[in-house]
Amino acid sequence: MAQASQRIRNFSIIAHIDHGKSTLADRLIEYTGALTKREMEAQVLDSMDLERERGITIKLQAVRLSYQAQDGEVYELNLIDTPGHVDFTYEVSRSLAACEGALLVVDSVQGIEAQTLANVYLALENNLELISVINKIDLPSAEPERVKQEIEDVIGLDASEAILASAKTGIGIEEILERIVTMVPPPQGDDEEPLKALIFDSKFDAYKGAISYVRIVEGRVAKGTRMQMMSTGKSFEVTEVGVFAPSMRIVDELKAGQVGFIAASIKNVKDTQVGDTITDADNPAAEALPGYRKATPMVFCGLYTVEASDYNKLRDSLEKLHLNDASLIFEPETSVALGFGFRCGFLGLLHMEIIQERLEREYDLNLITTAPSVIYKVNTVQGEVLSIDNPSNLPKVDQIVSIEEPIVKATILVPSEYVGAIMELNQEKRGAYCNMDYVSTSRVRLTYELPLSEIVFDYFDQLKSRTKGYASLDYELSGYKETDLVKIDILLNGEMVDALSFIVHRAKSYNRGRKLVEKLRGIIPRHMFEIPIQSVIGSRVIARETVNAMRKDVLSKCYGGDISRKRKLLEKQKAGKKRMKQVGNVEIPQDAFMAVLQIED
Amino acid sequence: MPSLYVHVPFCLQKCDYCGFYSHSLNNSSPDLISVYLEGLEIEMAKRQKDTPQGVSSLFIGGGTPTVLSERQLEGLLGMIQRYFPMNPEVEQTMEGNPGTITMEKARLIRDLGINRFSLGIQSFDDDLLCGVGRVHTAAQAREAIARLRSAGFENLNLDLMFGLPGQGLRAWQASLEEALSYSPEHLSLYGLMLEEGTPLFEQYEGGNDTNTKGAYLRKQSFQLEQKGKDGCLKTLPSEDQQAEMHEWAVRRLGLEGYRNYETSNFALPGYECRHNLGYWRGADYLGMGPGGVSCLNRVRWKNIEDVCAYKNLLSEGKSPIDETGQEVLSLQECMAERMILGLRLEAGVHLKEFEIDFGTDLRDIYRSVLERYKDTDIFIVEGDYFRLNPRYSFVANSILQEFV
Repeated sequence: MAQASQRIRNFSIIAHIDHGKSTLADRLIEYTGALTKREMEAQVLDSMDLERERGITIKLQAVRLSYQAQDGEVYELNLIDTPGHVDFTYEVSRSLAACEGALLVVDSVQGIEAQTLANVYLALENNLELISVINKIDLPSAEPERVKQEIEDVIGLDASEAILASAKTGIGIEEILERIVTMVPPPQGDDEEPLKALIFDSKFDAYKGAISYVRIVEGRVAKGTRMQMMSTGKSFEVTEVGVFAPSMRIVDELKAGQVGFIAASIKNVKDTQVGDTITDADNPAAEALPGYRKATPMVFCGLYTVEASDYNKLRDSLEKLHLNDASLIFEPETSVALGFGFRCGFLGLLHMEIIQERLEREYDLNLITTAPSVIYKVNTVQGEVLSIDNPSNLPKVDQIVSIEEPIVKATILVPSEYVGAIMELNQEKRGAYCNMDYVSTSRVRLTYELPLSEIVFDYFDQLKSRTKGYASLDYELSGYKETDLVKIDILLNGEMVDALSFIVHRAKSYNRGRKLVEKLRGIIPRHMFEIPIQSVIGSRVIARETVNAMRKDVLSKCYGGDISRKRKLLEKQKAGKKRMKQVGNVEIPQDAFMAVLQIED
Repeated sequence: MPSLYVHVPFCLQKCDYCGFYSHSLNNSSPDLISVYLEGLEIEMAKRQKDTPQGVSSLFIGGGTPTVLSERQLEGLLGMIQRYFPMNPEVEQTMEGNPGTITMEKARLIRDLGINRFSLGIQSFDDDLLCGVGRVHTAAQAREAIARLRSAGFENLNLDLMFGLPGQGLRAWQASLEEALSYSPEHLSLYGLMLEEGTPLFEQYEGGNDTNTKGAYLRKQSFQLEQKGKDGCLKTLPSEDQQAEMHEWAVRRLGLEGYRNYETSNFALPGYECRHNLGYWRGADYLGMGPGGVSCLNRVRWKNIEDVCAYKNLLSEGKSPIDETGQEVLSLQECMAERMILGLRLEAGVHLKEFEIDFGTDLRDIYRSVLERYKDTDIFIVEGDYFRLNPRYSFVANSILQEFV
């Protein structure tokens, strides 16, 4: 038996947004000399502009560091970065499954925050060795002792050995590297066993095809290996294997314990699903690694371009994004109000926002997004079961026998003082209580069944505001349930705007219908004529508001010194108008289509 | 023949809503005015050549030109007549504010050829005046009108403002009625605009956030109690209230024989401001003094807004132009301006003049716009003119956008 190298350490970093994960990663890379300072972009791991701006990691990355420890040996340290949001919980769990240890980075001023916890529990589920790092100790307001106590109280980890560090100034970096070597166990696998490689990410490359980012758990893989995906049985011939140093570097072979990439001229990222196991087709493993789940979109919305002529550009852009993101799905749809567009499916709300922003920024598209929806199952009088992902496609009431909506099993971790607030929120959100237990003396785990549509509708914001940001949420689809649902349509100036229709529980329909027209009254600008806004269920009007006709819109003074400025002002106003969608003779600002999300119950 | 504008960038104190370039004399050296006059003389000597056939009209604005002393006014007007001689029939306007107009000054400027005076009354309500940082009182305004009349001014304009913080329809009507009692030949009625960078803007829209208290107050003002001297923000009249004030004024002045010949301007027949008509009809103009804007043959430029730098550049024989503000207007931009300015006029845009100046009929070049509005009553073609239906003159922006 050939044991995996004792000089490999695979680890990841768990941190709340802004607690310094990316800076720390950069410092580790710099310290070990994987890149010189000059070669480094500001933060290597967060390579998308959007990630840098939001301070979050969307697409995870990996990097191999070479470190000579105090024992004189040179170690191969593989850092696997993780995204930090509930939409990507599954991706995080797969990256953590590829590691033996993790750095738990906590801000010395802010202490432990919600998002850190969910990932800590994922790490513990994967039996990872956790090393506590208290970061930003260079700040004058740092309180490392308080934070240590918090780690012990809230997480139940012994924090007496926690490393005090400042990724910004470099304090503690060597100690962190040393601790990784001594504390994180070396990988366990055997390189003589049949190949088992865990895919923790994938990326599309125009020349190499879909590249799998993998952790080799057992066996070995090299150029020429006939590899096989264990979930689908599809096989491909390996064209390249390599490591991240931090840019991709081809090596002869990857062996048990190592982290790297495999390219095999795979045409579609769909064939390299995160969590799947790669084996050797000629010497297959008996069973796949546990934990594989197919990525299923949970949230849907319509994407339209403001300019109808941009439709093809939108399609091309979605196709390009899809190359790298198999979880994004889209198909053409038509709206009476908005014209031709796409119904797109996402893992969750953040995923949706990110895709929208990337389309607008990287592909320079001016988009209109409709409010997100879930997939409803409709049983018709004809005995059919329809899947409805767009409210305006809901059949007429007399065609419907019943409607079922998706239900999720939600796990909420929260300090015990907020239990009441969470219960109240879940009550409002039509949740059904399942269970409650104490994970520590001060922290409670609540389990609820909640309609997914309620999570899509303002749940995160409420959760955050009612618990001062301390609650963390994880959820997974648990099934469908018959519910008394109705569709609300919106009429503007007497014309139905299909893109504003939404499905809601009957008990909440009156309230939401009324609040939405009130909200729209504030969003839709005054026109030269009066615009009635109505909420209707079927043909019954449940609420009405009016946008009065514009009465003053003029530059009062306009003399010699003002002319250029006034002309430019009109040009600017005209450009602003272009960002609105004309429906009938009413100009609707883009945010009107998301307004339904901004109303409180 | 271009018109001549002379900018006098001095005031007793700057008003809270004012976005024009001007120095408060409270906190600047009185010598600054001498520096200004020295610079101005050099500029006039230099620019004289741009007006081989003289100038079509004169407007001395600001600022508050009447803060100058008699001697300074004499110097200023003498200088203008030296470099840009004008017949007495040429319209020569000076602007000024109550509280700065003595009997002697009024006589002096009248004697030196100024034949039209534009007085910044804004309101006859002392509380409202104080609320926007005006330093004069209603009593001083009355006094100024009397002095100007007795000095022989037969063409008098009064500026009034509506939409002031805390102003209601009643207060507006009272000010306008009082103004009418002095039988001015001309009235300019301006809706208050919040200009970025002014104290009033900061107060109401500060922080660039549309959800600030100010924006909220503006939208909701009709529902909120007005608060005054206790230091709280007074509410700005809502869009609807401002429209009511304007509409009332149009009706009222119409009954008195005033024509609403431009969006904000009213005159008895024959007393329309010729200088300003020049701007609205697309004529060339020369603007002198720091901050003055000129437009000659499709080139527009602005002098720097800094008295000392202005004078120093000129005495070194250099141009006092603010290079960043210089623009060469494209044909499109010129046509757009002709439309957005011309449609402010009751008469509208002269079809033939447009065709002569731009070589095309405006109905051809803007065909798609006219097509879009063909089923509405927004545009009117009558005789030689293309104009806006006056019903829409107070909501003109969204229509004028079509031409830029």
